Amino acid sequence: MTIPEDFKTRLKIAKSKIEKKLQSDSEKKGSFLGSAFKLGTELVAAVAVGTIIGFILDSWFDTKPWLIIIFFFLGTAAGILNVIKTANRMQEEE
Amino acid sequence: MQQFSVYKMGPEINIGGIDLSFTNASLFMVISAAIILLFLFVGTKEKKIIPGKVQLIAEMFYTFVAKMISDTAGSKAKPYFPFIFSLFMFVLFCNMVGMLPYSFTVTSHIIVTLIMALFIFIAVTIIGFTKHGFKYLSIFVPSGVPAVLLPLITVIEIISYLSRPVSLSVRLFANMMAGHTMLKVFGGFVISLGLLGGWLPLSFSVALTGLEILVAFLQAYVFAILTCIYLNDALNLHH
Repeated sequence: MTIPEDFKTRLKIAKSKIEKKLQSDSEKKGSFLGSAFKLGTELVAAVAVGTIIGFILDSWFDTKPWLIIIFFFLGTAAGILNVIKTANRMQEEE
Repeated sequence: MQQFSVYKMGPEINIGGIDLSFTNASLFMVISAAIILLFLFVGTKEKKIIPGKVQLIAEMFYTFVAKMISDTAGSKAKPYFPFIFSLFMFVLFCNMVGMLPYSFTVTSHIIVTLIMALFIFIAVTIIGFTKHGFKYLSIFVPSGVPAVLLPLITVIEIISYLSRPVSLSVRLFANMMAGHTMLKVFGGFVISLGLLGGWLPLSFSVALTGLEILVAFLQAYVFAILTCIYLNDALNLHH
C-alpha cells in the first residue's frame, strides 16, 4: 500500500501539533490533579503503619504502651518524609 | 449499604477449607476483564493506517501507558509494560463499570485493592533484590546523614517503605467508596425532599456523577503511576 506524499507531510504536521499541545496543557493538568489526590493518604498511611508496627512490637516484648507511642511519632515522621518526597518529585516534573 | 454487599452466586465451592464460591464481586471482575478483552480485540483486529474509532481509543490507551512508563521509570521498565498496562486497564474498567447503575464496584472493597497493592509491593521488592542484591537495602540509608541520626532515619525510611502498599490500596478504596456513598446520600435527599425541594440534590447528584467519572480515571492513573515510581526506585538505584 502506498501513501501519497502530501498526506505524509500533513500527517507529520498534525503529529507535531498534537505533541506540542499534549505537552503544554492537558498532560500537566492531569498529573497535578493526580499528585494532589496522592498527598493526603501518603501522610495518613505512614502514621497508621507506624502505629501498627508499634502495637505488634508491644505485644511481642510486653512493653505496653511505650513502643506504640514511639512508633506513632516515627510513623508521623515517615509520613512527613513521604509528603516531602512526593512534593520534591512534583517540583522535578515542573 | 446494599450496593457494597457481597453475596454468593451459584453453588458453594470449598477447597481445602477456603471458601472459593463465585460472588457478585467475581462476576463484575469477569465482566470488566471481558470488556477489556473485547475492546482490545476489536481495536486491534483491523490495523488500519487511518484508524477507526475503536482502534484510535485502543491506541490512545497504549501510548498513554507507554509514555507514562518511559517518563517515570525510564527505558529499563519497558519489560514491565504488559503488567502495568493490564493493571491500569483493570482498575480503570472496574471503576468505570462501577459507575453504571445497579452494578458493583469491585475496587470499593479494600481486600481487592490491598491484594493488588501487596502484589505490586512484593514484586517490586523481589525485583529490587534480584537486580541489585543486598545493595538494594541502601534505599533505607539515605546519603549525607550524620552518623548519630542514621539509626533513627533508617527506621523512618523502613516505615515509609512499608507504608507504600497501605497508601496505595487505601487511596483507591477510599476514593471509590466515598464517591459512591456520596452519590447514595444525595440520591436519598432527592427522595426525602420530594418534588418540591428535590431538584437541588438532584443537580448535585448529576455534577457528582461527572466528578466520580473523573475520580475513577484519576485513581486508575495514580495507581498505575505509583507502580511505575516504585518500579523506578527498584530498577534505578540512586542514592
